[in-house]
Amino acid sequence: MHKSTQLKFAIAPTLALVAGIVTAAPVKIAVLETLSGPQASTGLLYRTAVKYAIDQMNAAGGWNGEPVQLVDYDNQGGPSGASDKLKAAIADGVQIVVQGASSAVGGQITEDVRKHNLRNPSKEIVYINVGAEALELTGEKCNFHHFRFGGNAQVRTKALVDAMKQANVLGSKVYSINQNYSWGQDMEHAISDNAAAGGYKVVEKALHDVNKIQDFAPYVAKIKASNADTVLTGNWSNDLLLLMKATRAAGLKVRFGTVYLDQPGNVANAGEVAVGHYVVQSFNPEASGAEGERFVTDYKAKTGHMPAFIEPQTVFGMQMVADALKRTKPEAGALNVNAFAKALEAAKVKTSVGEMSMRAADHQALLPMIVSTVTKDAKYKVDATDMGFKPVKRFTAEEAATPVQSSCVMKRPA
Amino acid sequence: MVAMCGKGSSSRTFWNKLMEFFTVSLLNGTIYGLLLFMVSAGLTLIFGMMGVLNFAHTSFYMIGAYLAYSLQKVIGFWPAIIIAPIIVGFLGVIVERFFLRRVHKYGHAHELLVTFGLSFIIAELIKLFFGNYPVNYQVPSSLNFAAFQLFGTDYPFYRLMMGVISLLMFGLIFLLLSRTRVGIVVRSAIYRPKMAEALGHNVPLVFMGVFGVGAGLAGLAGAVAGAFYTTNPNMALELGVLVFVVVVIGGLGSLEGAMVSSILIGLISSFAVGIDLSAADVLGYVGAGEWAQQVGGLLTLKISSLAATIPFALMLLVLLVRPSGLMGEKE
Repeated sequence: MHKSTQLKFAIAPTLALVAGIVTAAPVKIAVLETLSGPQASTGLLYRTAVKYAIDQMNAAGGWNGEPVQLVDYDNQGGPSGASDKLKAAIADGVQIVVQGASSAVGGQITEDVRKHNLRNPSKEIVYINVGAEALELTGEKCNFHHFRFGGNAQVRTKALVDAMKQANVLGSKVYSINQNYSWGQDMEHAISDNAAAGGYKVVEKALHDVNKIQDFAPYVAKIKASNADTVLTGNWSNDLLLLMKATRAAGLKVRFGTVYLDQPGNVANAGEVAVGHYVVQSFNPEASGAEGERFVTDYKAKTGHMPAFIEPQTVFGMQMVADALKRTKPEAGALNVNAFAKALEAAKVKTSVGEMSMRAADHQALLPMIVSTVTKDAKYKVDATDMGFKPVKRFTAEEAATPVQSSCVMKRPA
Repeated sequence: MVAMCGKGSSSRTFWNKLMEFFTVSLLNGTIYGLLLFMVSAGLTLIFGMMGVLNFAHTSFYMIGAYLAYSLQKVIGFWPAIIIAPIIVGFLGVIVERFFLRRVHKYGHAHELLVTFGLSFIIAELIKLFFGNYPVNYQVPSSLNFAAFQLFGTDYPFYRLMMGVISLLMFGLIFLLLSRTRVGIVVRSAIYRPKMAEALGHNVPLVFMGVFGVGAGLAGLAGAVAGAFYTTNPNMALELGVLVFVVVVIGGLGSLEGAMVSSILIGLISSFAVGIDLSAADVLGYVGAGEWAQQVGGLLTLKISSLAATIPFALMLLVLLVRPSGLMGEKE
């Protein structure tokens, strides 16, 4: 992506759509997210980010001289809805499916995509996973048509532990508390796996129901009884907020190492409680120089808000998709998905946080990671508060990477 | 065996820890139960009266929180806590007068659907005005202090305050229903509406009043709890199911039942968190522990990881053994 051209051609996608001369098959990219109901807020963020990236793609000329089309499908919050809508998307001629908000939905889509591709040779589709971070997706469930552009529990925990240890805030006793489903269980394993590297002992592990608990006071009593210095958690949304608020209410001085503290609204709602806690991110504007500032300004101009939470990784992921599309030659005016997937295996982009690339062995993107802490002297404030995320340590994609899982046996098309 | 007992610890520290676990869990559970009661009190009264589960009830809880959040910026925390529930009460009156009463003649199914639809509309409206994410509603700093120290941990004053408000509320409603003339009319309208009407009481007015008060109570709970927990567009949904469980276990229409079951659920979810016991551990005492570990699955699931699910199992049990609930009179 050339950032300089992208501003000049900001209006081009609209023009291209108006001019829309339909010739051969244009590439259709579907966002298969939760766009309605209680979990819609994250799904809508993914859509915003994908739309931003596709507008960039089209401003740069689209594919095969035509604009790339973005279509939305609402998976209504669950795997069964996603499965239905995936069929609808395939029937509508979609070749690239983008999703990220849930590992449960991601697990469904990757299986459905694998089966569809087995049964319909030469009509393959590809699943662009921009945020479903369960390990199994690049482990026992890995398949040639799935690509993950998010992190995973191992990558995130490794960076988080390393940075917190170096900043001397990790302590020697860690409490691990996570949500009881694939992602939370992965996090629990990752926290134990990194104990030696981080020089800590996991004093207690807790798994709890997802987004069902209002009162975290009993968990705080457990954390207190364990004498932990630090709480490491993969919790998101209310499960993270309520846990942090309950800890502060009890006057317990523990530090939190989190993955999702940068979800919009969290810092505002937690208030002063958030200060001094840590988060591992795939992007932080303060850590990415002038290039990052340009990205933030442009994103804000196009979407109305700063890129936050999962938006940057989604944009970067889609830029890699754009890179691979550019290198895939049309066959009889259409996109050959297998050729595109092969190109995507070698995709590489330079973003403001550093170079990122796709690892062909398990289709896990190698992303730079940034560990940040919440303070009042961060350059970019979030949620209309006086607090923001100040980078503590940056990891290049190579430093952040964790080995390919041995459970991944990928079958490539001949 | 409780979570906190370390293997190497002497029996004295074990008892200390057990005492701590017991006291803290008891206090936490009771106060959480009292909060649940604040929300479910109105629901159980409305059910007793109209025979319809009001699906929009926790939406009033959410509106209460958002209203208090908006008002406290202008008029301060305490006035907001008082005014927000009153406004919610009026909203409840409007809902009863202009929505429910119109569909009353078509039967319960229609009333149920109206409240169900209403809960969606309210949730979407909240998102429209306040956005998709939690809002910045917090306990004011003047109330944000520790009431006392308990085994070296601060016990937040605000938690105690929520408990006291709930107890006051229970006392007031109980006295109102059992000791005043208004209470007699309301109770008779709830149990024998036709007879009360025949005796010359304006039953629709009573219905409207009870609905309004019920909504207002939920609004009060929201205004108070929204600051302590989070005020977000999903809060109605998060509490909604649990409140129904409370009402079903306590007995539909019974205020005392709602109190008992609220506290019961509060205590169960609080104590269960601290118990890291699984079926495999129990089987271990009879020598089948190793076998159970190998089987895995349900047998190795810890009670603590099921804490939020146990109330539902309890509801199932109550429905099987005593369908009218612990203290309910209506089948």
